[in-house]
Amino acid sequence: MIILETRSLKYTYPDGTIACQDLNIEIKKGKKVAFVGPNGSGKSTLFLLMNGTLKPDEGEVRFHGFQLKYDSKSLREIRKSIGIVFQNSDDQIFAPTVYQDIAFGPANLGYSKERVDVCVQHSLEQVGLSHLKAKPPHHLSGGQKKRVALAGIMAMEPEIIILDEPLSNLDPIGADEIMDLLNEFNQFGTTIIISTHDVDLAYRWSDYVYIMSNSKLIGQGTPAQIFKEPDLLKKAGLRQPTTLEIYHEIERRGLAYGKNSPKTIPEIVSTLKPLDLMWVDVPPKVKEGDSLNLGVMYGEYATQSPYEAINATVLHIHPDGRAIVELKRKGIKAGGVLLYDTDNYSLKEIRQILNEGEMVFVGAMGKKSKTLAEKNGIHLDVTSGVIDKSILMALCGKRCLILAAGGMVDHALKRIREYVEKSGIELTMSIVNREESCKWPEEADGEPEILEL
Amino acid sequence: MNNILDDYALMSPLRHRNNWLKLVIVFFGLIIGVSCASPITPVFIALCMSFTTIVFGRVSPKFYFKLLLAPMGFAAAGVLIIAFFSGSGQDLLSFKLIGYPLSIKVDGLELALLVLSRSISGICCLYFLALTTPMIELFAVFKASRLPESLIELTMLIYRYIFVFLEIALSIMYAQTIRLGYSNFRRSINSISMLTSTLFIRSLEQGEKLFLAMNSRCYNGKMAVFEVHKPIKAVEFLLTSAYFLSTLSLFYFAKNISIV
Repeated sequence: MIILETRSLKYTYPDGTIACQDLNIEIKKGKKVAFVGPNGSGKSTLFLLMNGTLKPDEGEVRFHGFQLKYDSKSLREIRKSIGIVFQNSDDQIFAPTVYQDIAFGPANLGYSKERVDVCVQHSLEQVGLSHLKAKPPHHLSGGQKKRVALAGIMAMEPEIIILDEPLSNLDPIGADEIMDLLNEFNQFGTTIIISTHDVDLAYRWSDYVYIMSNSKLIGQGTPAQIFKEPDLLKKAGLRQPTTLEIYHEIERRGLAYGKNSPKTIPEIVSTLKPLDLMWVDVPPKVKEGDSLNLGVMYGEYATQSPYEAINATVLHIHPDGRAIVELKRKGIKAGGVLLYDTDNYSLKEIRQILNEGEMVFVGAMGKKSKTLAEKNGIHLDVTSGVIDKSILMALCGKRCLILAAGGMVDHALKRIREYVEKSGIELTMSIVNREESCKWPEEADGEPEILEL
Repeated sequence: MNNILDDYALMSPLRHRNNWLKLVIVFFGLIIGVSCASPITPVFIALCMSFTTIVFGRVSPKFYFKLLLAPMGFAAAGVLIIAFFSGSGQDLLSFKLIGYPLSIKVDGLELALLVLSRSISGICCLYFLALTTPMIELFAVFKASRLPESLIELTMLIYRYIFVFLEIALSIMYAQTIRLGYSNFRRSINSISMLTSTLFIRSLEQGEKLFLAMNSRCYNGKMAVFEVHKPIKAVEFLLTSAYFLSTLSLFYFAKNISIV
């Protein structure tokens, strides 16, 4: 379903500079959309056109299929449904305290005092800033200001959140927290639109990408399609995402399976095609080129997961009866990822999981879960890029626990599931404190064979 | 930016006490201090207020007295002039300065002491307010005292933007300093003028952005002010009453006592 679209939009600034021209955009509901382009390519202007702050010279903006009207009542409706987070948080936060700033939007919607309070408390909790609500904005750090700005928009419960350069001036952890929050809102059905010139972010995060250059739209598509076209990227003054660049280099050297578009490090890892040779003793009748079933291996012979089914192709037979084989491994028992929903947590349970579940790797997503872990002295191995790192650890046969709250749990589960489907590597995953309890894989059936080497 | 009084107030443990109680204490001190006839009562008020600010408000005594020094300088200059040039009656002290006769008279000294004690008590009362009640707590008080809404809104926005512009001004100043903008008097004047004009332009820009920010969150001409309910505790009430009673009795009994 298309929620927001523009048709041959054109806007010229009073001094004659053309900011946007001929923009045709269709944004589907519940998607994560990124507008990528160099500075001054018209992204910010487009955003102001989208929420009716600027009126286009030509063309139209349509929200839910209805053309935008520019009388004050319709504009109010639009602005309730489309929230904008500005690039510079100081431009956005104008009230003397954090609480008052977040309450500004809901109060303008005419909510009762109690309802405003509920909205504000909820948003504060989501962004993890409840303890700072009485502070004035000039006592906050850049990352905290960004989260206040985001909470101020969220408190109005918009259908679309537009963020202009959401990660500029943020440290890596702060940036990660903002992206986690955005993923969480998206999980709840909010459409998210960002502008960025960070190609890595756009490639990794978005469902759909628009490339802008010189006030025009010069390309659109899924990130996998868009970032494959070097000419387009060159024209827009962008470069290839780092992950893709690394993958192409590995692929060119024949070390990875081709025609993939890995977005994350685990995805690169699963495309790798290592040349895996080994000396083995073979029965006398085997010829070069034959396939051998070497059975299931574990321990030091299994390099990618605890148990591997291994087939081998014989490349060369030595006169003394030994042969060089190329191994093809298939992981059958990888580690697993457990998710723990901190919305209803019990410390005892977490401790029990950590002790009895042999968790070697613990991560937390979102400010709330991090604070919780910190408060209870739970050691966190990772606090940023949690999902990716947990998948990598699970691939090495480790058991991981991710503490997350609310929608982040669903987001993490979705991401891991996608990985399992794409890679075909069976990871165990489950949410501990929701309906079904966790199951670890049964130990391998029968004794794994050991090869004579 | 540690030198802003508001920051001390924001960190003060007394910030979270009832605003009205604090205001009543301050106004009581100001009125009694100004209307009493003997210097003893204002001194008592000053001592009580300083004690509260330092002990309950956890302000470091060193910082507090440093803060007192500035207005005290002005008060001292005024008091000296009053002591030498006013009053009549018996000479307490007289000498000649470069052939000009100067003398302190009983009346003059008494008046001078009264003025000095009154100003100290006033300053202590106001410092108590300034060091325990940040601006952001006062907005709700303004609202409850029925000040015009637009005035309150303006105050809130101005308060916020003071800090925004302070930051901009400081960073511009820094940028000018590292390029030797303040290396001599002439250049300093030039740099300061550039800074001010840039600030004017920035404030215009900021105003436009503010308008945008408020509009995109459905601004309808009203900015809500929320007051956190902070009930007066029994201990606070008892302490305040004890303070009021002792001050009032001192006010009554000390009215005819003069120290000179």
